[in-house]
Amino acid sequence: MTRVLEVSGVHKHFGGVRAVQGVTFTLEEGRVVGLIGPNGSGKSTLCNVIAGMEKPTKGTITFDGQRIDRWPAHRIVERGIAKTHQIPKPFLTMTCRENVAVAAMFGANKVTKPSEALETAGRVLALVGLEEKTNMMSSKLTVQERKRLEFARVVGAGARILLLDEIFAGLSPDELRDAIALFTKVQKEIGFGALVVEHVMRAVLTVSEHIVVIEEGTKIAEGTPREVVENPAVIEAYLGVEAPHAAP
Amino acid sequence: MRLPALRSFGPTIWGIELFIIVLAGIARWIPDFLLTVLIQLLIFAALAYSLNLITGLTGYVSFGHVVFMAFGGYTLSFGVSALSLPPVVGVALGAVVGLALALGIGAVTLRFRGVYFAIATLVIAVAALRLVLVINELGDGQGIPLNIGFEPLSWFYTISVILAIEVGLTYRITHGRIGYGIRSIKSDEDAAKTVGINAARVKLFLYAMSGLFAGAAGGVYAWTTSGVFPYAAFDLTFSLQMLAMIVIGGMGTLLGPMLGAVVVNITSNYFLTVLIGFQYIIIGLVVMIIALFVPEGIVGTLRKYIPEIRGIIE
Amino acid sequence: MADATLFVTDLAFGLLLGCIFAVIAHGLNLIWGVAKVVNVAHGEFIMLGAYGAYFLNLYLGFNPLLSVPIDAVIGLGVGVLFYFGFLHRELRGKESMGLQSEMVTLVATFGLALFLTNAAQTLWTGNNVGIPWSPGALQIGPVQLPLGGIYVAIVAVAIIALSHAFLSKTYLGNAIRAYSQDIPATQMIGINPTFVAAVGTAVGFCVTMAGGALLTVWLPTGINPSLGNLYAPISFVIVVLGGPGKMWGSLVGGLTLGVIINVGQLFLGNNISLAEAIAFLTLIPVLLLRPEGLLR
Repeated sequence: MTRVLEVSGVHKHFGGVRAVQGVTFTLEEGRVVGLIGPNGSGKSTLCNVIAGMEKPTKGTITFDGQRIDRWPAHRIVERGIAKTHQIPKPFLTMTCRENVAVAAMFGANKVTKPSEALETAGRVLALVGLEEKTNMMSSKLTVQERKRLEFARVVGAGARILLLDEIFAGLSPDELRDAIALFTKVQKEIGFGALVVEHVMRAVLTVSEHIVVIEEGTKIAEGTPREVVENPAVIEAYLGVEAPHAAP
Repeated sequence: MRLPALRSFGPTIWGIELFIIVLAGIARWIPDFLLTVLIQLLIFAALAYSLNLITGLTGYVSFGHVVFMAFGGYTLSFGVSALSLPPVVGVALGAVVGLALALGIGAVTLRFRGVYFAIATLVIAVAALRLVLVINELGDGQGIPLNIGFEPLSWFYTISVILAIEVGLTYRITHGRIGYGIRSIKSDEDAAKTVGINAARVKLFLYAMSGLFAGAAGGVYAWTTSGVFPYAAFDLTFSLQMLAMIVIGGMGTLLGPMLGAVVVNITSNYFLTVLIGFQYIIIGLVVMIIALFVPEGIVGTLRKYIPEIRGIIE
Repeated sequence: MADATLFVTDLAFGLLLGCIFAVIAHGLNLIWGVAKVVNVAHGEFIMLGAYGAYFLNLYLGFNPLLSVPIDAVIGLGVGVLFYFGFLHRELRGKESMGLQSEMVTLVATFGLALFLTNAAQTLWTGNNVGIPWSPGALQIGPVQLPLGGIYVAIVAVAIIALSHAFLSKTYLGNAIRAYSQDIPATQMIGINPTFVAAVGTAVGFCVTMAGGALLTVWLPTGINPSLGNLYAPISFVIVVLGGPGKMWGSLVGGLTLGVIINVGQLFLGNNISLAEAIAFLTLIPVLLLRPEGLLR
């Protein structure tokens, strides 16, 4: 049975600031959905709300029909939804292997034996290409490697829906190409669903089957990558004027 | 909690438990004056291990830990004098009271971070003293004296058992699955929640355990000092001593609290005859130096700079 | 009518007490606001300020009020020493204190507190001392108030107001405030963060020790090395009540506490201990419901 995340009419207000205003969309296990929008459009906030770090002011979020919008973050992770941090937050006093093992022990799979979790962690790290750094202290990783560790951690947590907050940011064209390839490979192998929140157009348009566009907290467009890119409202949101050739 | 295979126990836990067992075994042949010194050492070690469970493992500095010790003492004193309970039962009750108190206080204060948590625990300890002063059943400000004689062997066996269980529990916690959760919380509590760790529950569990053992130790302490008197029982110096012990020994380590207890107790006993209060000048200085320059304490620093030791001392 | 007089007297006392509470907490507030650290040894510096005034009185016959500026100057020096001893390493180059650094400072200043309390005890014994200065009482209608307390309250509020003026009207003061809000930004506009932080800390200690001197007027027989154990928690509660870093927060917090203790005990059967317990425990609901403090 495919697991389904439904975001329904979600609002998030911070005092007078309406960061998210009535957003609705669906995300299924196995599908990759991109979430794009100009700076400050509310993408990250929406992600945080789904992950349970913030509670929605209005609206509901259900996972497999069960309402999760009032749940604490750790419970949502146990259910199978995990989010990466925009600025990676590894457990600096632990090795990469231990970082991922923790996720395995406390995430959706709740592995009970540390030895088992450590072994699983090794395999996940190999899958994301961090094999050489497995037993290295996470404090010694570069920023890019830390981003990959974040990815490894949510995979290790056994999440079936991943919320990926700008994991393609700050990469050189070569690194980007490798990262896109890696992501696609891992996604096909493990079969999770993902919400890819991105600024890097090339990445998100490549990996996503479906795109949701947000501007100033509201959804302004939704569709396949091609549809979205040719949508005048989207073009206007990004460029402010009509520009017929905005597609990469 | 399943017990892991005996052969997987490390040298440190073996060492500490054997030390306690051997001491208990030869206890009846130890001369009384030495026994009382040892008893005090073990009580303070038990207190140090209790603070270690929360402050050492999670980094949440508790300045008000004396509260659990004091109420443990009051429970024992009340139980023995008003309810005629055997002292050991009183100690056990002290543990229960400590546990309950910690659950109550922790449920509220563990929501606060860092400095605010520290201040909240301090304020609760200060308020608790004043509350106890006005409650009639608790001696109405005069304390509860006990009519118990000198029973060093009973004291010794009781505190040995408490300490042995406590150290064993500390070992089990730090080596099991929950140990990883604790390290994650200490490293980055928010990130820990995002990998599924119920940080609130873990912290509360640790705090409750620390309250339990501090309460038990406090009960034994009251037993050895023939009663409990409010200003003495709630003296913040106890909290300070507990903190000093784990800072010097090494926070979060298994051997640290014991080492710290030895250091603090020896200096205390030595200087008690020289100048009252002088030992704290030394201890205060040592704590300052350690906090600023070698924050890992004795055990932590040894482990950091001598890799060969890591498998042996923890 | 006796009840009303008692109430008004207690209220007035509470306000006067609140003022002295406020000024001894104010130093902590300043340092907390500037360096975002809590000095566990805060009470000990109050104690040192009190002893300073005591000795100035003992050997030079100085009136405690006269000792205030002297203690203040000493406090400046002490503050600079404290900054470089404890804070400089942790703050240098960083945006703010991390949790690890926070813990280090908590523990280090705790060691300092232990050291200072017991050094004082060894040097000056634990006996209570004090300055026997009693300028009499002021009668306002049916209410009788101690003149000493009134003088202290005036000086206390003056000190707080002065510090506020310094921080908001002078260039250096504004630099300190900018530093407390955004360290990298102050660097960008050419302010030396070390200098600013050191001065900010120095001002904090200056106020603290001045407060200690003022305290001697309220405690003519109660100066001893352990007085930090009482006044540190009081200061912490006051700063949290008023809001850390908020200038007038110290006064708000101090007056609140002073009134709760003095007026509260009236309604609790003259039970000072209970009133004090309640006053201290107000910290908890404030932290739970309004952690930024009562002041908006």
